[in-house]
Amino acid sequence: MNNLSIKNKLYIGFGSIVAIILLLLILAYNNFASLTDANRWDRHTMEVLIELDRINSISLQIQVDTRGYILTGNEALIASERENAELLKQHVVKAVQLTADNAQQNERLKRAQTLLTGWAEVNIRRQIDKRRALGDTKGAAEILAQSSELKEAGAIVSSARELLDQAADEERRLLAERSTKAVDLHTSQNNLLIGGGAAVVVLSLLIAYTLGRAILGPLSNLTAALSLLGSGEQSARIKVTSGDELGKVSEDFNKMAQQLQDATQREQALTNELRSKVDALLGVVSRATSGDLTGKVPVAGEDAIGQLGEGLQRMFDNLRQLLNNVQKAGIQVTTSATEIAASAKQQEATGVEQAQTSVEVLSTTKEISSNTSQLLRTMEDATAVADFTTNATSEAQGNLRRMDQTMQNMVNATDSINAKLAALSEKASNINSVLTTITKVADQTNILSLNAAIEAEKAGEAGRGFSVVATEIRRLADQTSVSTWDIEQMLKEMQSAVSASVMGMDKFSEEIRRSVGEVRQVTDQLSGVMDQVQKLAPQFDAVLQGMQAQAVGAQQISETMMQLNDATQQTVESLKATSEAVHQLQYAAGDLQSSVSTFAVNA
Amino acid sequence: MKVLIFHIGPDRYGLPLRQVRRVLPLLELKGIPLAPDSVAGLMNLHGAPTPVIDLSRISGGAPSRQHFDTRIVVADYTAPDGKVHALGLMAERVQGVHDVSTQELAPSGVQAAPFLGQVAGDAKGMVQLVEVNDLLPAELRARLFPAEVEAG
Repeated sequence: MNNLSIKNKLYIGFGSIVAIILLLLILAYNNFASLTDANRWDRHTMEVLIELDRINSISLQIQVDTRGYILTGNEALIASERENAELLKQHVVKAVQLTADNAQQNERLKRAQTLLTGWAEVNIRRQIDKRRALGDTKGAAEILAQSSELKEAGAIVSSARELLDQAADEERRLLAERSTKAVDLHTSQNNLLIGGGAAVVVLSLLIAYTLGRAILGPLSNLTAALSLLGSGEQSARIKVTSGDELGKVSEDFNKMAQQLQDATQREQALTNELRSKVDALLGVVSRATSGDLTGKVPVAGEDAIGQLGEGLQRMFDNLRQLLNNVQKAGIQVTTSATEIAASAKQQEATGVEQAQTSVEVLSTTKEISSNTSQLLRTMEDATAVADFTTNATSEAQGNLRRMDQTMQNMVNATDSINAKLAALSEKASNINSVLTTITKVADQTNILSLNAAIEAEKAGEAGRGFSVVATEIRRLADQTSVSTWDIEQMLKEMQSAVSASVMGMDKFSEEIRRSVGEVRQVTDQLSGVMDQVQKLAPQFDAVLQGMQAQAVGAQQISETMMQLNDATQQTVESLKATSEAVHQLQYAAGDLQSSVSTFAVNA
Repeated sequence: MKVLIFHIGPDRYGLPLRQVRRVLPLLELKGIPLAPDSVAGLMNLHGAPTPVIDLSRISGGAPSRQHFDTRIVVADYTAPDGKVHALGLMAERVQGVHDVSTQELAPSGVQAAPFLGQVAGDAKGMVQLVEVNDLLPAELRARLFPAEVEAG
């Protein structure tokens, strides 16, 4: 039910109402049909009764006419006797026809028909014929009244009427029965119409309610959610209960609400981020306002705030740099001012000293003048000493030359010693080869002595003396071997000593060569000295002349110093003024430094 | 009784002089391929080829070292058939002739190599005599002196 579309819901609702009404109509129609049928049957019964009444009345008419004729003999009374008989027959036939559906009634009426037809055709005719025959005879009426024909006719008519009454009773019974049935039908029709109408109304109301709920429920949910959303409740959602258009609308609404909520949350987050960035910027700026420039701007990025933060950071960096520079400059200015002050003081002191020194210089200049003459004498002495030095130097040169000669001789002697040592080494080698020969000979002698001993032993007693000799030879050979070995050792020691000597001699001759070079160098230097000394004499003369000129210059210096003294006094005065200005500069620099130091610039 | 004193390893041994033909310095020997280890080589003794036995080697030691007093002793080897052959013996530290009195000689009491004989003591230690005729085992003798096999 929930998953049906609204159109289908409407179709189903109204369709069921129409179906119920149709059902009711069909039932009502059936009841009407039954009622109509019952009415028809009532009318039919009524027709039968009317016919029967007519039959009765006609038969009565005939009877009355006949009796009247009998009584009166008036032909006028029976003038319509034929027509009445004919009418009676027609009505009886009609009655028989009408009761064709009811066998019992039909039987009764047929019997009545037979009786009545017979009665009207035969009995009535006979009575009429008899009366006519009698004519105007007195007492005819009594005769006839006493006649059998009258009685017979009366009996037939009575039985016929009895039959007719029975039939009429039956019909009345049927009529009553049918009337009751019709009333019942009417009642049921009423009931059906009332009950069915009520049922239709109730069912229609029920369907209308259900349909209304199915359509209006989601609508009211939607409305409620919309009003919630309108009042700012963003978490408002609709519970989707149906799969119809409204369900789809609800789902779409939910999506829309979710998107709206997401968008709002994103916006909220962005706002928060922006606020926190702005707060951070504000914090840094307020710190900067109170003089603390060390704050780092924590905001960066491509957006406006980020660029603002970066710009602020750059501005702070630049400001910090500037303040740093100002502080450094302040310190530098202070130190420079201090230095200037110190140096000004120093200059002042120096000026004073200079003034004193000028006075001293004056006196000193006078002394110089007097000393110059003494110097002149000293210079003459110096010239004499220089001459002496020249002579001594040339002598030393000659000695050195001789020493060089001696050294050369020593080198030659060393070379010859080396050659002799080489010869000695060669001799030692020769001795070595001789020793090898001696060793071989001793070995041979050893073997020889062994063989000799063997031969002597083989010769027996004759060889005994020879055996002794062989033993002696052997002993000698052994001694030779031992001595040779000793000599060999000695020779080896000697050879090593000789090589050591050769090396020593080499070193020695090298030393001598170096000494010779040094002696030559000394000689050259002495020659240079001598040249210089010889040049000294004329220079001393020049000095003498300079000294005399100096005496004159000293006088001039003295005068100049007087002037210098005055100038120095002036300098001291101006230095004092400078010192005052520098003090003021120092104070200013101090102020600058203290005012700049209120800014914290070191991160 | 005179013996020629030589050494095998650190021990002194004596060769009876009557069996010694002569003493020669250490000559250049011709090697004999496929010969037993104890045969040091072949030497030319006045034109006659003579086999040389290394005494150190035949006693089971290392080959003789070539010192200045390592000599070749030419000895008379008397074969069991009575034929006398010259046999070179390479010996270390041949020191000379020594006189051993016959009374001092005593059996060694230890049966070792077949060519080792009696023992005599003196100031420098003990000297054991070497029997030249028992020096060669039969197989080596057959290899060194095949002529006698043909003659026999």
